[in-house]
Amino acid sequence: MITFLRRRALTSVIPLAVVVLGVFCLARLTGNPASLYLPLNATDRMRQEFAERNGFDQPVLSQMFDYLGGVLRLDFGESLRTGQAAGGMALDAFPATLQLAGFTMLIAVLGSAVVGSWAALKPNGLADRVCSTMSMVAASVPDFWLAIVGVWIFAVTLGWLPTSGVTGHGIWILPIATLAVRPFGVLVQVVRGAMVSALSSPYVKLARSKGADDYRIVTRHALRNAAAPALTVAGDLTVGLVNGAVVVETIFGWPGIGKLMIDSILQRDFAVLQAAVLLTAVAIFVLNILIDVCYALLDARVRQTVKT
Amino acid sequence: MSLPSKLRAPRRNRAIGRFRAVRRRTAVAAAVSGFAVLVSSCTVANSDSLGGSGTGLRVVLPEEPPTLEPCESSLTSTGVVVRSNITQPLIERNPKSGDLDPLLATGWKRTSDTQWTFTMRDGVDFQDGTAFNARDAAYSIERAVNSDLGCNVDGYVFGEDPLEVEAVDEKTLTVESKEPDPILPLRLSFVEIVPTSTSTAKKVRQPVGTGPYEIGRWDTGLKLRLDRNKRYWGKAPAYENVTYQWRAEGTVRAAMVTSDEADVALKLGPLDGAGDLGVNHPNNETTALRLTGDEPPLDDPRIRRAVNYALDKRGIVKSLFSGLGKPAGQLVPSGVLGHNPGIKPWPHDLKKAKALVNAAKADGVPTGKQILMVGRNELFPRVSETAEVLQEQLTQAGLNIKLKMVDESAHLEYQLRPFVPDAGPVALLIQHGNQAGDAAFTVDQYMKAEGAQSVMGTKRFDRMIAEAGRKSGKARQDAYEELLDQQNSEVTQFAHIAHMTGVIALSPHVSYTPNSATNDEMRLADIRPAG
Amino acid sequence: MSPMAHDRQGAPPTGGDPAAEPIPGQTRVRADEAAPAPPQATGRAAARTSMWRLLLRDRVATVAAGVLVLIASTAVVGPWLVGDLATEQNLDAVNTAPFHSENGWAYILGSDSLGRSMLARLVVATRTTISVAVPAVLISLFIGSVWGMWAGYHRRWRETLSMRIADIILSFPSLLLAVVVLYVFSPSAANIVAILAIARLPIYLRTARAESAELQSRLFVDAARTFGTRSGAVIRRHVLPTVLPTLLTVATADFCFVMLSESSLSFLGIGIQPPDISWGLMTAQGRQYLQTSWWMSIFPGLAIVITTVSASVLAAWFRIATDPAQRWRLSLPRRKRSVRKAGQEVRR
Repeated sequence: MITFLRRRALTSVIPLAVVVLGVFCLARLTGNPASLYLPLNATDRMRQEFAERNGFDQPVLSQMFDYLGGVLRLDFGESLRTGQAAGGMALDAFPATLQLAGFTMLIAVLGSAVVGSWAALKPNGLADRVCSTMSMVAASVPDFWLAIVGVWIFAVTLGWLPTSGVTGHGIWILPIATLAVRPFGVLVQVVRGAMVSALSSPYVKLARSKGADDYRIVTRHALRNAAAPALTVAGDLTVGLVNGAVVVETIFGWPGIGKLMIDSILQRDFAVLQAAVLLTAVAIFVLNILIDVCYALLDARVRQTVKT
Repeated sequence: MSLPSKLRAPRRNRAIGRFRAVRRRTAVAAAVSGFAVLVSSCTVANSDSLGGSGTGLRVVLPEEPPTLEPCESSLTSTGVVVRSNITQPLIERNPKSGDLDPLLATGWKRTSDTQWTFTMRDGVDFQDGTAFNARDAAYSIERAVNSDLGCNVDGYVFGEDPLEVEAVDEKTLTVESKEPDPILPLRLSFVEIVPTSTSTAKKVRQPVGTGPYEIGRWDTGLKLRLDRNKRYWGKAPAYENVTYQWRAEGTVRAAMVTSDEADVALKLGPLDGAGDLGVNHPNNETTALRLTGDEPPLDDPRIRRAVNYALDKRGIVKSLFSGLGKPAGQLVPSGVLGHNPGIKPWPHDLKKAKALVNAAKADGVPTGKQILMVGRNELFPRVSETAEVLQEQLTQAGLNIKLKMVDESAHLEYQLRPFVPDAGPVALLIQHGNQAGDAAFTVDQYMKAEGAQSVMGTKRFDRMIAEAGRKSGKARQDAYEELLDQQNSEVTQFAHIAHMTGVIALSPHVSYTPNSATNDEMRLADIRPAG
Repeated sequence: MSPMAHDRQGAPPTGGDPAAEPIPGQTRVRADEAAPAPPQATGRAAARTSMWRLLLRDRVATVAAGVLVLIASTAVVGPWLVGDLATEQNLDAVNTAPFHSENGWAYILGSDSLGRSMLARLVVATRTTISVAVPAVLISLFIGSVWGMWAGYHRRWRETLSMRIADIILSFPSLLLAVVVLYVFSPSAANIVAILAIARLPIYLRTARAESAELQSRLFVDAARTFGTRSGAVIRRHVLPTVLPTLLTVATADFCFVMLSESSLSFLGIGIQPPDISWGLMTAQGRQYLQTSWWMSIFPGLAIVITTVSASVLAAWFRIATDPAQRWRLSLPRRKRSVRKAGQEVRR
């Protein structure tokens, strides 16, 4: 296990470096951000000073080496916009997104386990067809549309929930509900499919012939086998959420890393963008490793290969 | 499973052992997956409640201030929080009357062509307890204008030339400029005063000032709270604390006020749903199309006049701005010194526009050449629809317009020198805000031949501009009125659209009259509980 | 290369933003397909049952396919039929409500804030949306499959390198790529297609590689190799036909996500730029009018939902239809298709 982890960690370093350096170069392709940060009638002298202060007048390669040197010292540069340390800004924003993604996936996984299993008990029955249709619709709705309609209906028209922000009770509901709809839809289909296969296997028939009731069969026998693919898909969805929560974060004012990234892109705040991308990429790699570990723990066949 | 049968545990025990092992593994799997979630439960949403209800004011802004550094307060997202709230300038401009009011300076006079002398106020303390005197004022001006910090105020309000600042004694300050500058006090109204302990090596995120509020707590990304300054020299403001939050969506900001989560919401559009709680106010913005006067076909004045005739300003204000706005004939609205009340906006006359285009075409002007119209996303509410209407109206006049909507950074490349090379003829959709209250700032930027945002000009016009800049009082007003009139009728670098009106939402518990400066500088001391 | 990643290929991992999400139903749970045996009476019929007839037997899938055909034909001939109606501004007929026939058939779905016919704009937007989604899917399908099959067939370093590249692409923020491409290379639908194609490439890459890697160790491939067939020919003749159904299923489901990604990019202002229109952009632009002219945002949103749901339904049907072990389900007479409890024998 340790060897596996170590091997994975090592092989992840190069892709990480490529991602960050790729972002580095691409960001600088958008040109000199001086106009955004200097007053409108700034003189050439001021622009030159700005470029010198931030190293934009150097060739890209030497800028890159400076940056890498800084990264090794854990210095990710300063934000052009606020002057704070870019690494600190990214680290402050990350837990917010992680919490949002985590709770969203928790609800989506638990909900889909229940609904998917229930639908799978009678394949092609009424419940199953309804669930399949609704889950497909759920997986197809644009999230920003859902968010805005949600705010309109629940916060403005009905006044049940607060409109946005991170304080007060009930603030979790709308953002998580909006974000959870699509993963929920996707996972219900996965769980249902896996459960149908699991429920039609011999050992389940055996359990039924022994008189076990539905609940026991589902939880004790079938769910465990259906868990593997569902968990894998759930893991992938979490990874997608970490970056994909941008829209929801923007609308609800959630101070997460997605919002930080889009803001720094539009503001050409390179240091913050690079720090955010690096942090997200590291998190994605870690998540992928965790998913593989979970998969191993659940599937004995795979565990064999890991042990070698 | 390779032990000989005698040594292996009985079958039943083995089965139980395996079962337990499986259970353990599942538990571990669950723990591992839950770990990622649990480990991240930091106190994002556990920060203490919003507070501030009852004795506190809650304001929601369109974006978080990137910094509260006072020398950057000409940036609206910083200035709206800092100016006259946390820090104060020597002199303050009254947005309604345009007069200069004393603040930290009780009096000022022009002691020579190039020098002004200011008298400091007594009995003022900074929020850290130190006393305020002329040395602090001198320090602040030097820091903002003459230092290497690269302050926004420096480029915005002051020119290339450094100022000579001297604190003659505790109560007297002299400021000398290189060229005669009749509006130096107005320029100084942008310099917020900070104590001499403020760093000149780096910009300061959370400054100390003399204003009615001091910084209480800034949860970056979440909210900013200002507390009443107990050492304030003037009348205490009504609210004990003020909490700022920020939401990018206008509809969400309006919704926060209507559902009583906030008391004031800034920079709304007419369709954001503020309803009865919306209050219109003239902001100091004017929209216009800036025409590249050195590229055919826009170099022919007939074409530029045709553009002016083709735009249906009244129709646009009525249907796209929901009636909020006034058709414009100049880049500065009323209230700004130099505004010419006599200028009439070009009338909407499609026939004349077509005739002018045809006449130019007959003379060989390439009227079919594609003119690029560049607009900025989010410049004002419904900007892309406005741009589409403009395109349609100009096309009807016989011109060939291609519309391109871009983000702020790309738009600035078209807007500022050195412009985008080889862009051809460009009609740039701009919105110009004159915060300062004097037409000089607009004219220098947009109408001088080498102005940072000017695409055409003549030597003669430049001379007139330079002369006007030296005048003061009524002569100044007349000179700038003349300049703006000529710009509109002869030079026609611009096809003005409208003087814009802004919308804010106010909770019924709050009493406040917004003015043209509200978006750049919202004075908390002017806000009171209703009733 | 991690041995785990091999087994996870059934559910392609993702990273990145709105542009990257896994495909539902792609998980191949290789549990025993212990479904009741196909009834003997339809044995020969099952062999002859073509895909068309299978499709027609399933009402829902037929409807879905029909919808998609309608969308496709709208994209092709719609703009020509509608002409200038989509750009004709009419400042007197601003924000008219839908379903009021007194304004003429053009305004049957209402008009937008500049008085343009919603119906016409939706039709024109169909072309933009489809011409972004379909090429993006096709390009990533083609490149991803060929690359993946090649990598999976040859194994070792080619495979490892390809998987690392896939990891890189998945962790790369497509948002940034979209903004950069948009502003450096000028905004155009072609650039957005390129971004979406690159962002989705790893999905096909991984799937194709996994299937190909599994197949290359099988007997029939070995046999072909023994006869001296070149690897290219082996891939084309043996690997491709087996892998193709899976890939097409993935592609059909991927289509939904590409459409949703395009609308998210437009919402953030880095997708299709005005004055071009796409469903996503119309939904995003209409959001400020939700309280007053709801139809401006709801109708394009509905268009997205209907198209993506149809694609999902078709993908689900396709997955069953192309899996020989499950195909029998579709050829059952409708009455008997509902099984009372999974695992029970079908009573004859």
